[in-house]
Amino acid sequence: MSTRAPWTLVAAREIQVKLTDKNFLIGTGLTILLLLAVLVVPSFLGSSSADYDVAVTDDRGAAVVGEVDATLREQDEESSATAVRVADRDAAETAVLEGDVDAGLVAGDDRWELLSDGPDLGELQPLLTEQVRADALADNARTAGTTVEELTAGAEVGVVDVAEQEGGMPPVLAYVLGFAFAALFYFAAIMFGMQIANSVVEEKQSRIIEILAAKIPTRQLLLGKVLGNTVLAFGQLALIAAVSLVGMTFVDLDVALPGIAGAIAWYLPFFLLGFLALACVWAAAGALASRTEDLQQTTMPLTMVLVVLFIVGINLDGVARQVFSFVPVASTLVMPMRILEGDTQLWEPVLALALVVVFCALTIVLGSRLYERALLHTSGSLSWRKAMQLSKD
Amino acid sequence: MLELDGLSRRYGDHLAVDEVSFTVPAGRMVGFVGGNGAGKTTTMRMIMGVLAPSAGQVRWDGEPVTRADRVRFGYMPEERGLYPKQPVLAQLTYLGQLHGMTQSSARQRSEELLTRFGLGERLTSKVETLSLGNQQRAQIIASVLGEPKMLVLDEPFSGLDPAAVDQMSELLREHTAAGTPVLFSSHQLDLVDRLCDSIVVLHGGRVVAEGTSEGLRASAPLRYRLVMTGDTGWVRGSTGVDVIDLDGPTALVQPEDEQTAERLLADAVARGGVREFSRIRPTLSEIYREVAA
Repeated sequence: MSTRAPWTLVAAREIQVKLTDKNFLIGTGLTILLLLAVLVVPSFLGSSSADYDVAVTDDRGAAVVGEVDATLREQDEESSATAVRVADRDAAETAVLEGDVDAGLVAGDDRWELLSDGPDLGELQPLLTEQVRADALADNARTAGTTVEELTAGAEVGVVDVAEQEGGMPPVLAYVLGFAFAALFYFAAIMFGMQIANSVVEEKQSRIIEILAAKIPTRQLLLGKVLGNTVLAFGQLALIAAVSLVGMTFVDLDVALPGIAGAIAWYLPFFLLGFLALACVWAAAGALASRTEDLQQTTMPLTMVLVVLFIVGINLDGVARQVFSFVPVASTLVMPMRILEGDTQLWEPVLALALVVVFCALTIVLGSRLYERALLHTSGSLSWRKAMQLSKD
Repeated sequence: MLELDGLSRRYGDHLAVDEVSFTVPAGRMVGFVGGNGAGKTTTMRMIMGVLAPSAGQVRWDGEPVTRADRVRFGYMPEERGLYPKQPVLAQLTYLGQLHGMTQSSARQRSEELLTRFGLGERLTSKVETLSLGNQQRAQIIASVLGEPKMLVLDEPFSGLDPAAVDQMSELLREHTAAGTPVLFSSHQLDLVDRLCDSIVVLHGGRVVAEGTSEGLRASAPLRYRLVMTGDTGWVRGSTGVDVIDLDGPTALVQPEDEQTAERLLADAVARGGVREFSRIRPTLSEIYREVAA
């Protein structure tokens, strides 16, 4: 076959134009760089280490600081606490006020004083006070002829993370990933949706639409446009996902990879169908406008719906959230989160996908009808209502 | 051959095109003339299937025109447009492919035509960076890609300088020479007169005149200009002669037939001092004004 079906030409052009668009390339490049930065850079920097100087007036103070130093180094090799000997309490106060030291620890007869410049000493305060308290407790126990262990027997409370034991994936990770999935879909839906609307209105505004409409059926034009942009959106998603997965192996998160892979396998069809469900509606929004300037107005309802779905989707709880996870398009935002959290039965995502498929068919029929009606209407923008009423010419 | 048969288009109560019928024979160039709002663009859109007729039919070689036929029609809409941000060669290649050409032949033909019309250096320039005249050239090239079997061009020459008009009309002549019918609309009546084999005049959605430019001229009323050394007021008394205009020694008259004209000339010669007695050949624009009045 020497010539190709028109929609494949349209889709190919759509992709080719985007791939040679500097803004798109730079945008995608920056996203990838940002992602790498978020994933990889912290592992190089490590957590922030701290070096504290504490003014002390005697050996008791120095001993406490020494013990805190040991505690700090246990948590992080780079951290330290150093005792700085000063003559008396006044000297300690001066040193704190002048910023020579971070704090001052002064032992009195029956109480200690922790001198600080301002109310906030950060982690230093609990570390020093706990240490003083532990030392005092040990001394008192010894005086009373018992031990700290005997005194505190039966007072220990252990925290057991039930969720972690059951779901297999740490809840924090599930939450972050679920949010990332939802955000990725949200941004892709808006970005590539606007792209579809834009490329439709570009053809209307430049009037090339008359040449195209005379050459190929408008349905082929719509099909090519929607599929071309779906390929682009999916391609960008795949790139981001690949970079993220590779990036995760850098930061010791790769233990969670098997669980994530399963979630991604569910996420992809949700993403694809959710995107397709909106694509024809975006095209219709583009066709309603006659100039790029009108797009803001004609795409507003769609953008609003997405914003609301996104905000509601990530904030809902309980039964409302479960119900929401079956609503078409919203399911793309919520169901993958629920899958990640491990609280779904197999039938739930399957049913949600089936619902999106039905919804998708509806919007494609409705969207393409609006698109075809509004396409050659070049004077002024149309309202959604008016476009529905247009007789099909 | 393209035939329009009783083509009408109604917008609400307004009849934009009213039972328009004419033919564009193979190898002929037909000029489509009419004022703004006469219905030319609407008619052309219906020929191309961009707009559905309210009534009537468009036929190609005697059969109702199909989409397959129209894909092989070259069309240049009144509302110009190419993708502003796409390089001109890539864009014409794409349009050629939509026209059913292979990518390589579309590219080759586009490059050849662009080079021929002086755009050989601008193949990779974005359309929006081209001058309006050059954009117009690209637009005409777009319409002739893929060996079209019919050309429908809405105002193809507007905005072109005389040299470009000559280049483009030569291109169109190549197509008529190969047997392709060409229909183009224009406001430039002298150009239509020069290029077209026949003319269709549209006014208020109806065809008000149609034929070759010779034929239209021949059907125009018989008029003579008479210039004498003395006053020509006497012509008012001649029977069978309408006086259109009279200004001292000059008279514009409309005799009812050739015999009356000869008798008028004999009278004038008898009076003496005839400086000029000439047949007025109306220009196309005069005919147009007449029928579109």
